[in-house]
Amino acid sequence: MSLSPLGASRSLAAVFTPIKSGGLVDEVCRRIELAVETGLLVSGQRLPNEVELAGALGVSAVTTREALSQLRGQGLIRTARGRSGGSFIADDALPSPDHARIRLLALTRLQISDLGLHYQAIAATCAGVAAKRSNDGDVEALRTYIRPRAENGTPATALEWRLASSEFLLEIAAVARSARLARELLRLQADMGTLTLLPFGDTDFCNRTAELSEAVTAAIARHDQASAEARTKDLIHMTTTWLLEEHSSGQSH
Amino acid sequence: MDGNGAELKAPISPALRGVEEINALVTGVERQLDQWAAATTAWITDSGKLTGTAVDKFIRPAVQSMLQAPDSKVVGAGFIATPGLLGPDRSYIAWWQGDDMERVDALANFSPQSLSRYVKSEWFRIPVETGKPHVTGPFIDLLCTDEYVLTFSHPVFNGGTIAGIVGLDVTAQTLERLGLPLLRRIGERAALVNDGGRTVICAASDIDAGDIVTAAEGAESHAVGRQFRILSAVGPAGA
Repeated sequence: MSLSPLGASRSLAAVFTPIKSGGLVDEVCRRIELAVETGLLVSGQRLPNEVELAGALGVSAVTTREALSQLRGQGLIRTARGRSGGSFIADDALPSPDHARIRLLALTRLQISDLGLHYQAIAATCAGVAAKRSNDGDVEALRTYIRPRAENGTPATALEWRLASSEFLLEIAAVARSARLARELLRLQADMGTLTLLPFGDTDFCNRTAELSEAVTAAIARHDQASAEARTKDLIHMTTTWLLEEHSSGQSH
Repeated sequence: MDGNGAELKAPISPALRGVEEINALVTGVERQLDQWAAATTAWITDSGKLTGTAVDKFIRPAVQSMLQAPDSKVVGAGFIATPGLLGPDRSYIAWWQGDDMERVDALANFSPQSLSRYVKSEWFRIPVETGKPHVTGPFIDLLCTDEYVLTFSHPVFNGGTIAGIVGLDVTAQTLERLGLPLLRRIGERAALVNDGGRTVICAASDIDAGDIVTAAEGAESHAVGRQFRILSAVGPAGA
């Protein structure tokens, strides 16, 4: 059977999708939002001034000014005048479970389960390849992300648990040594966004995550590809299930 | 020069020439980095108090000439300061990648949390701790290129005190393009491996970059650059 180059290929349609113009301001805002979401920029922290920020991001000062003004409108940053002035990350800018819950409820069940499947496919493939390619150093690196490091006895926050868990999966991709899978995993984690913060408010969920992560690490250490894949699927499935249950109970109120 | 040009020397085999050419490729990158590190050390030592702007002004042109040189093997390069060089507890990253000189993660310079990621990485930590150059990888570089790369890094000093590192990234793809034809001359299962026995390039189609390999029985091993070896033949993956 011959395939016509202009036949009904479904991927061809993507080529002729309109390209969004502009959007630079939104992109600058998205970067800063993402940095706050992931805890890279914290409340009270001073942002670089307009010129520095423009230089750093390779955009014009006008774009930066507009982006800062948009972020101010959202309440993500505050601006102080005077000598010690500048733009600062707002005091209540922590990734908030309330915002995450609102976002979760705005999704359909279909979106949540489909995102979960995609995440599962990529992460499990990474784990399988990682099991083939791991050495002792890799396994040691993985172990450091199984639980967030407890600082002087205080229990880890949901934010710290989420960070450790996403780093754990990224580390698996790094051990697999596939650039494409690692990039896809980063993109998926950005798509999940704050949603993954929600289950880590639940201590039981945190402990089960750590147990499954240990099982994944052990499978990778003994080069057991099938088990590494299966346990990683379980790990992602647990998140998806938690989110779907939360979604149901939130909508039934 | 024709093929019989060796007057007094014994003619060398195509295999040995392959080893020499791959060695020249790797040591060429190492030498480029050594020279840049020496120039950076001299500059830092002669400078007074350093600022981010001054660092950018010194590092950027060097990176630009590396990235934009014809047949450049380098996809990204830059400098990372040890905490304290520019200010108390403050590190600094001046790193660029690609032909269009994309600045890597400049926001990190305003975020102590994200700078700590660089400071913890193998390609920063080892040269700083040992005072010696180091090659990291091949590894997936999630901080900069998101590619499968080797990072060559070299300590730089302020007088006698460690001041940071300069480093450059070469993708595993670049090495495959340049090195695989040479490797095939050495043997159909010849491999370039790092000091952990991990494949950088392999002539055998059943071995992928990143697989850990062992030398086949009776295989020769040749040192390449500071940290690599060429094995004239390797066993099956995972063996």
